[in-house]
Amino acid sequence: MRFLLYLMLCLVPLALVIARGPDENNKIFPYPINQVTLDNGLIVISIPFDSPGIIAVYTVVRAGSRNEVEPGKSGFAHFFEHMMFRGTEKYSKDAYNEMLKSIGADNNAFTTDDYTAYHTLASSDVLETLLDIESDRFMNLKYTEEDFKTEAGAILGEYNKNYSNPDMTIYEKLRENAFKKHTYKHTTMGFLKDIQDMPNQYQYSLTFFDRWYRPENCALIVVGDFNQTKLMELVKKYYSNWKRGTYTLDVPLDVPQTEEKTLNLPWKAQTLPQVSMGYRGPAFNDTEIDMPAMDVLSQVLFSETSDLFQKLVIEEQLVEYIYGGQQDHRDPELFMVDARVKEKANIERVRAEIDKAIEQSKTTPVSAERLASIKSHMKYQFAMGLDNPNGIARTISHYVQLTGNPESVNNIYSLYEKITVEDLMNVAKKYLNKKNRTTVIMTQEEGQQ
Amino acid sequence: MKRLHLFSTLFLFAMALTTLFHETSQGAIRITEIHSSNSPLVTFRVILRAGEIHSPAGKEGLNALTAYGIAQGGTQELSYQQVVEKLYPWAANINVQVDQEITTFIGNVHRDHLEEFYKLFTDLLLRPRFDESDFSRVKDLGLNYLRNTLRSTSDEQLGKQALNAMLYAHHPYKNTEFGTVQGLSSSTIDDVKAYYKKIYTQGNFWFGIAGGYPKSIIEKIKTDFSILPDVPFNEVALPKPELINNLEVMIVEKPARAFAISMGHPILLTRKDKDFYALLVANSYFGEHRTFNGVLMNRLRGDRGLNYGDYSYIEKFTGGVGSGNVFPDLNTPLRHQFFSIWLRPVQPENTRFAIRNALFEFKNFVEHGLTNDDFEKTKKFVLNYSKLWAGTLNRRLGYQMDSEFYGTDYFIDRIDRELQSLSVEEVNAAVKKYLNNKNIKIAVVVDEGKGGEILNGMVANAISPIKYASSVSPNILEQDKLIEKFQLSINNERSKVVKASELFEK
Repeated sequence: MRFLLYLMLCLVPLALVIARGPDENNKIFPYPINQVTLDNGLIVISIPFDSPGIIAVYTVVRAGSRNEVEPGKSGFAHFFEHMMFRGTEKYSKDAYNEMLKSIGADNNAFTTDDYTAYHTLASSDVLETLLDIESDRFMNLKYTEEDFKTEAGAILGEYNKNYSNPDMTIYEKLRENAFKKHTYKHTTMGFLKDIQDMPNQYQYSLTFFDRWYRPENCALIVVGDFNQTKLMELVKKYYSNWKRGTYTLDVPLDVPQTEEKTLNLPWKAQTLPQVSMGYRGPAFNDTEIDMPAMDVLSQVLFSETSDLFQKLVIEEQLVEYIYGGQQDHRDPELFMVDARVKEKANIERVRAEIDKAIEQSKTTPVSAERLASIKSHMKYQFAMGLDNPNGIARTISHYVQLTGNPESVNNIYSLYEKITVEDLMNVAKKYLNKKNRTTVIMTQEEGQQ
Repeated sequence: MKRLHLFSTLFLFAMALTTLFHETSQGAIRITEIHSSNSPLVTFRVILRAGEIHSPAGKEGLNALTAYGIAQGGTQELSYQQVVEKLYPWAANINVQVDQEITTFIGNVHRDHLEEFYKLFTDLLLRPRFDESDFSRVKDLGLNYLRNTLRSTSDEQLGKQALNAMLYAHHPYKNTEFGTVQGLSSSTIDDVKAYYKKIYTQGNFWFGIAGGYPKSIIEKIKTDFSILPDVPFNEVALPKPELINNLEVMIVEKPARAFAISMGHPILLTRKDKDFYALLVANSYFGEHRTFNGVLMNRLRGDRGLNYGDYSYIEKFTGGVGSGNVFPDLNTPLRHQFFSIWLRPVQPENTRFAIRNALFEFKNFVEHGLTNDDFEKTKKFVLNYSKLWAGTLNRRLGYQMDSEFYGTDYFIDRIDRELQSLSVEEVNAAVKKYLNNKNIKIAVVVDEGKGGEILNGMVANAISPIKYASSVSPNILEQDKLIEKFQLSINNERSKVVKASELFEK
């Protein structure tokens, strides 16, 4: 009930601009979602938000490192994200940058395992300019082989800038060993050997663009202050000529893991030991209970209010931090547990405590009060991130890339509400087993200071 | 111009709708508030006008230890764990940000829980528990940050902090925001309690609140904070940073795959000064953070693929490393600011070329400034772009308080006002007046055993050709011939190679 009250309060200012009540059908997402699919398959989502004079525009391409199915091509989705800033015949790289500069936009992009997002925050009155230059590069991208090779240097630079932090290498090793066939075997950055070979992959880059940068594989999301009728006129004007593609993706599904894998990773520079574990978990699904139950279970086991956190971080202070949880993915990915241990001598003790807590979660039901507290936390946390158009656009992008349907955000939070203590024990038994686990233990090399 | 003006008008209108009440209250505790009755959220930014420069000698880091002991500790009624459990179902949060001159306690809550949250938040500040166990945990965090994170696993942060240590070697800003290893190690819980008693006074506190709170809370804040000692704020005097003589280099050695570079010099110019806004436009042209507007980004990354990014700043900027924030910092104001150039890690073999490339472009920039066309385009960009910086009430409150720190009107409005009448001549005069391409300090993080070779190469002015992975256009190769032998006037006496483990020690 408290949450319903919250939703109502949250919606007070929006009553001025929203005809429909946000708590209609008990949905968590408090703003109306307009969705139109163009004839060419492009999904167009628009969400009015009280940010006078400002809009966020996201273009989501449902292609990430998951799509890198060919050997030697890992990291290509991310590389391609960089190439998208290299210009077209109509607007060269410099002309594109000049236009962005003239409108004072905040413009960038990011790539994940499952998707790539191009995002802009700008003044509402430059909407047409934005749609013009964005649609143009998605349809008519053109770059020289020389530009392509130069950009490969920047990619290596991005890999290099992350390298001093051992987290990247730990994650690389963990994934490489946890998966045999699936493309989640490599990180979004890709294998280093593939990154180093990127300058030689100009022809493949053209293939990549041709396969994935197609309207039926993309969604345009606009949030903020705009006129819906005008928006759709502009979208049709600039995006209707975008031609559908023909490629279909066949991502190899992985075989189930049958035995525990443990790796020791020596680190040359000074560092605290780190224990990272990945359990093969479920895929995101907004109609089945497994993934939302795993989200709630991660709170039970590893949030700041968990018994494990209390014991390891607060009372005995054996670890600097502990984290556990699974990111939403289109295919089954990993439920991760990470702990930075203060003393090497305590690594096994910490592992044993984690194991003990996980085993208890399979047989000991959490209290109804604790479950209610977790559900409240998740709802308020979600709602508190929706105070600006960029945050809203990013949230909707996340769900659209997963299922193609923005309503997944409401569906998944509806499932959270239904989760029972039995669901939590069931998913703990189903997924958090040692034979389903890959562990990387990173410690400083002997003799290093 | 019509579009630009419309944008400004719309944005101001938006603020007028939501900001019903805003003033600096007169009373024992200073209060800045932005009331927005239609916001379901309430955000707090409580500034303590004390930072690392207030940590006593031999106890460097005591300011951070005290602040974290409060923000990650308990109240007299509740243990830390009980505080966490109270905040959890509300998804409310309490954080702290420590800096050289100020410390900021930040809280965010939905207004459903404002009353209970306010009591908890203010109890932490006014009646901290200072539990021995919490102290031990927080001290470990600080020491691990210096010993493991900064010295070892974050080369870009290391480069920035090494530059800070160089720029302010004989100035109160010389230490990191977390002090030194020895200072933290020698600090005790009794030191924390004594520091709290001395520093956490009515005069040093400055309360910021924004969002949909009841106006009655303002009187309550005044009453609640009146229990603190009534000692007026007393600003610490700062000596001028020492002059730099030619290029002074510090090479920091640690295991490293690619080499991070930071360089810069102090500038006695802040948001209070008119020339700051001229330099803001100039810097945007030369090195706007994370955009392809800047000269540095286009020449080093865009043309040559040397690294991931190349930017410049005219004031402290903590974003960028492990942070998605691309807009100017909130609540890290300094009375003595600095200009800096940040080159993200480069391939080892291109380190000296990259340094030369940046200095070559910097020299060109200082000598020639902006053309009128560059100026007009960049001015327009900054006018529009700055309107995006305060996208939430929390951010607006942060900028407002920083503006008051500097003694100027609201930062975003001031940019608008100053830029409307700014000329290219004023911008280029500011570049020549404040930026110095001859006297600069340079920090480079390199792999073990490589420091001597790189420093000697710089001192000897040995030619340093770039190594490309693939071909580039002839005009770039032509320019490379100038850059690879660009004269470096290294001050050998003031340059050195150090181990990362020697930094931030005492």
